[in-house]
Amino acid sequence: MSDRSPILRLEDLRTYFKTDAGLAKAVDGVNYEIFPSETLSVVGESGCGKSVTALSIMGLVPSPPGVKAGGRIWFQPPDAAARDLLTLRESELRHVRGNDIAMIFQEPMTSLNPVYTVGDQIAEAVRLHKGLSRRDAHAKAIEMLTKVGIPRPEVRVDEYPHQMSGGMRQRVMIAMALSCDPLVLIADEPTTALDVTIQAQILELMNKLQEDFGTSILFITHDLGVVAEVSNHVAVMYAGKVVEYAAVEALFEEPLHPYTNGLFQSLPDVEGKKERLEVIPGMVPSAVDFPSGCRFRNRCAFAKERCAAEEPKLLELRPGHTVACHGVEEGWIQR
Amino acid sequence: MTAPLLSVRDLRTHFPVRSGVFGKTSAWVKAVDGISFDVPAGTTLGLVGESGCGKTTAGRTILRLIPATSGSVSFEGRDVFALEREELRELRQRMQIIFQDPYSSLNPRLDVKMIVGEALLVHGRANRSELEDRVAKLLTRVGLFPEHMHRYPHEFSGGQRQRIGIARALALDPKFIVCDEAVSALDVSIQAQIINLLMDLQAELGLSYLFIAHDLGVVRHISTRVAVMYLGRIVEEAPKHELFENPQHPYTKALLSAIPVPDPKRGGKRQVLVGDVPNPIDPPKGCRFHPRCPVALETCGVGSDPAFVRAAPDHIAACVLVRPGSSIPAPLPEEVHPP
Repeated sequence: MSDRSPILRLEDLRTYFKTDAGLAKAVDGVNYEIFPSETLSVVGESGCGKSVTALSIMGLVPSPPGVKAGGRIWFQPPDAAARDLLTLRESELRHVRGNDIAMIFQEPMTSLNPVYTVGDQIAEAVRLHKGLSRRDAHAKAIEMLTKVGIPRPEVRVDEYPHQMSGGMRQRVMIAMALSCDPLVLIADEPTTALDVTIQAQILELMNKLQEDFGTSILFITHDLGVVAEVSNHVAVMYAGKVVEYAAVEALFEEPLHPYTNGLFQSLPDVEGKKERLEVIPGMVPSAVDFPSGCRFRNRCAFAKERCAAEEPKLLELRPGHTVACHGVEEGWIQR
Repeated sequence: MTAPLLSVRDLRTHFPVRSGVFGKTSAWVKAVDGISFDVPAGTTLGLVGESGCGKTTAGRTILRLIPATSGSVSFEGRDVFALEREELRELRQRMQIIFQDPYSSLNPRLDVKMIVGEALLVHGRANRSELEDRVAKLLTRVGLFPEHMHRYPHEFSGGQRQRIGIARALALDPKFIVCDEAVSALDVSIQAQIINLLMDLQAELGLSYLFIAHDLGVVRHISTRVAVMYLGRIVEEAPKHELFENPQHPYTKALLSAIPVPDPKRGGKRQVLVGDVPNPIDPPKGCRFHPRCPVALETCGVGSDPAFVRAAPDHIAACVLVRPGSSIPAPLPEEVHPP
């Protein structure tokens, strides 16, 4: 376990949404921390709240219907006091957003503006946040495009998003996000829409940029292969909560929570040894109507009475390895 | 040797690019540009490749959902492209398709009974009084409940919708199903459920699949043989274990090396391809892969597409560097696929 202090620490974060069907508890008590120059991956299936957590950090949850229902997001830059991002005014938050914490999204086409050139879009960010002149901002845009490996950057800088391929657009997004030297980069499924050969290029690029810039990365994904490749730590989310948090080697070597284990079992392995895939029965419960106690118990082969009666807490059951499961805690689930 | 259920020979599908006031055809997008393969009864051919390589167009052309430019497809010994309207209607009962997106491929205004049962009525395979009974059996077979038939698509999750899509495809007792990225939109735990279902149905009903996907782990799990496409052509085809353990074509090797492996201890030695897939309007001369190929020779950029080389008795790859094996000319003669 690192003894450095985390740059970003989520404490019991709760973000709810008011819907016609009731209060949807999309994020319902999330705890995790990100250390300087490290990558934390957050994994989980659709609807587990991993993206809403990221949007909450950025202060981008639309309200209404979003509700800040509690918790703290401690942001601790190296030479400044820790601040709770949830308590900042919009103007203060605007300074943090883009400058200190930047975000890239899954679908680069919808996150770029189609009527401006990519150069203008990168330049806008540095002019707003760094106060560069028009000319300097344009030069900065070319410099950033060079850094993310776009060929002929002085030509491509004047192109529009539709003239670029998906991989190139994602590089532009990364260039834009890194143009203000953020301390934290939030990457929400940045390679999910890309082909594997292009995904490999982008992952390699992100690794290299992290070495060069020392950026901390919050990497949101559902692909356990990608997790293994990019992370230092991993948080597994299920139904609005973190159910397991550990260093990447520990998690892959010894997944403790039955849900994490189920995720690994349901993966077709590239070695092709499995005859039949293990499945987790049933499906993710609805955020407006979670089961009592442990939210995974309806799909869990090991569930007992205590799982319905009492919600398991996230406990450090191995050094640096926390898990929220009564069965693991009491020892009736063993691997 | 019995004839394969489906046999595709030198299939080409080109789309016109129109420009100018008169809509003159200025160029052709060669989406599928000369592919050949067989699917024997009861087996699965995995068709993999990156977006834009033509795998989806290939699947749709085979079902005659898109007109072919040239080439032939024979299904149960009949030439699919030569069939008249009525014969085609009859044939379509035995060839079905499952789509990628379980949200847009189900009509939101129809209840499940009509989505699954419409084809039974249209083809006169059931009358209104038998319909509920037949639909109930189909829903049970794909792991849903008979009472689901009175609900509408929006009431179901993604995995359940994909089960509805499968029930619809099974309604007319098909022999052959094109699965076009059928599990790509689903979460891993749900994906595993659907893959198991497809494999169970294959064992029970003797189905054949053309399984189009970009996820190589899934393809390896479900396929009997695997064909790799690049820019409209098949570059390598082999039994799955052979292809994954002994890939011959540099593109296949790069594709396999690009898959992230869920093991943090595996070192980061991977071969990263440079550049993007080129534009299919104007594919590179010679071998289409040569501008991105890490081992390309100077001669790879001249002439026409390289011929298939037989690397093993039932393993072919279209690359001049592949040894050993006798070179066989494309388009493929019959003996490429031994029984």
